Amino acid sequence: MKKIGQGEQEKKHFKEFVSLILLFFVFTVYLFISPFNAYALDVPPLKGYVNDYAGMMSPSVRARLEKELKAFEESDSTQVVILTIPSLKGEVLEEYSIKVAEKWKIGHKGKDNGVILLVAKDERRLRIEVGRGLEGRLTDLTAGRIIDMAIKPRFKRGDFDGGFIAGVHAIIDATRGEFTADTKAPQVKKKEASPIWTFIFFAGVILVFLGRFSKIISGVLGAIGLPLLAFFIFSPPIITLILLGILGLVIGLVFPMFFGGWGRGGGTSSGWGSWGTHGGGGFDSGGFSGGGGDFGGGGASGDW
Amino acid sequence: MRRFIIVFLFIAILGIYGCGYNTMQQNEEKVKEAWANVEAAYQRRNDLIPNLVETVKAYAKHERETLQAVTEARARVGSIQVSKDMIGDPKAVAQFQAAQSAMTSALSRLMVVVERYPDLKASQNFRDLQNQLEGTENRINVARTRYNKAVQEFNTSIRIFPNNITNKLFLHLTPKEPFKAEPGAEKAPQVKF
Repeated sequence: MKKIGQGEQEKKHFKEFVSLILLFFVFTVYLFISPFNAYALDVPPLKGYVNDYAGMMSPSVRARLEKELKAFEESDSTQVVILTIPSLKGEVLEEYSIKVAEKWKIGHKGKDNGVILLVAKDERRLRIEVGRGLEGRLTDLTAGRIIDMAIKPRFKRGDFDGGFIAGVHAIIDATRGEFTADTKAPQVKKKEASPIWTFIFFAGVILVFLGRFSKIISGVLGAIGLPLLAFFIFSPPIITLILLGILGLVIGLVFPMFFGGWGRGGGTSSGWGSWGTHGGGGFDSGGFSGGGGDFGGGGASGDW
Repeated sequence: MRRFIIVFLFIAILGIYGCGYNTMQQNEEKVKEAWANVEAAYQRRNDLIPNLVETVKAYAKHERETLQAVTEARARVGSIQVSKDMIGDPKAVAQFQAAQSAMTSALSRLMVVVERYPDLKASQNFRDLQNQLEGTENRINVARTRYNKAVQEFNTSIRIFPNNITNKLFLHLTPKEPFKAEPGAEKAPQVKF
């Protein structure tokens, strides 16, 4: 009677172990996929040059501006993007605006030539956020005047279409000539691979290498390495570390065996290619994206 | 014998990757860069002040006290410089912050006063200055937030294991000082018009 109870308890413990490992794995994956999910007011996805989430423009104007801004980027490489949102939901306009800038990364890396025209419909507030590279041409003052003179009067009359057109034209006029488009084909944007992947890749190579000499060494290293790696990323409780150690031991023992076979076949290198580019995720398939432009809070705000 | 050499090499390489030596150095450089931006933003504000004072003076002759407070605050701010190497010193940073927030409050008092002078508010010159001042306040905010983020990252990186051991043995880095929120500073763009 007692013995059966004990057996069941062990079973239960084992189940807990397994589910803990699974949970941990899921958590890890989650951490990698969605690092910033806790914003009060989320930054909407970048759809194109005109992101009219508040529905303030007529379709024809939207298409026209989209075309004009595309042509402007093709000739000058400067990216001007419009975002309208229905409401700020209590957030400060300037803080939200820099958040959008940091997320979308409008403008090209190194040139930092992005401009965001942000309009919050309910609050009747708007802002021109200027990338660092354009601060010389489109100064806070110029941005302020564009808002005051080109956009505001039209918005006040309820002429949103006219306001957007006038505003965009003024922004284009102010920034034209500051940058020119590169003649070479646009390069594929690559985010830097996370150091963790380098680390894992490195550990993998070493494991395979050592596995040829001794399974014990690679096993021990796996048992130490995996919890250590986990420790760097987030300091998990000690029990998880021990579990990871066991997992690492298994990986350390088994992993080299896979490659051991291939290695003798002379095909080791083919397996590695994908590692280096891991983490270099592209943007959404829409074909338009920011290019890594940096913003430092320049620009101007206004209301109507 | 060969086996031992390989094991030793592996541990050495793992050590360099894993001890956080590089990470901590990189993070410190990031903090310094962020600090440079903070200083630049504050400097920008300081450069605007003389022009602002002159413009206001032309319309609001009776506000000498308020204007003087701004000028004095500017002088004080100018005398306190915190170099990149001093950002680990809480006292220096606190002093810097105190001087700058005195500047902020002197400025916001001035802006309250300005409300009484419609002519001044309507003048193009003043409106231009407003734009520049607003932009500068926003830049300060952004630079401060980014600095604090960099500091937090750095401070964490020198405290976690095993970086703390590496730091104790080789680097001897000390924690950096973040900006502390000032009472009422949450609504920093008080220089709103």
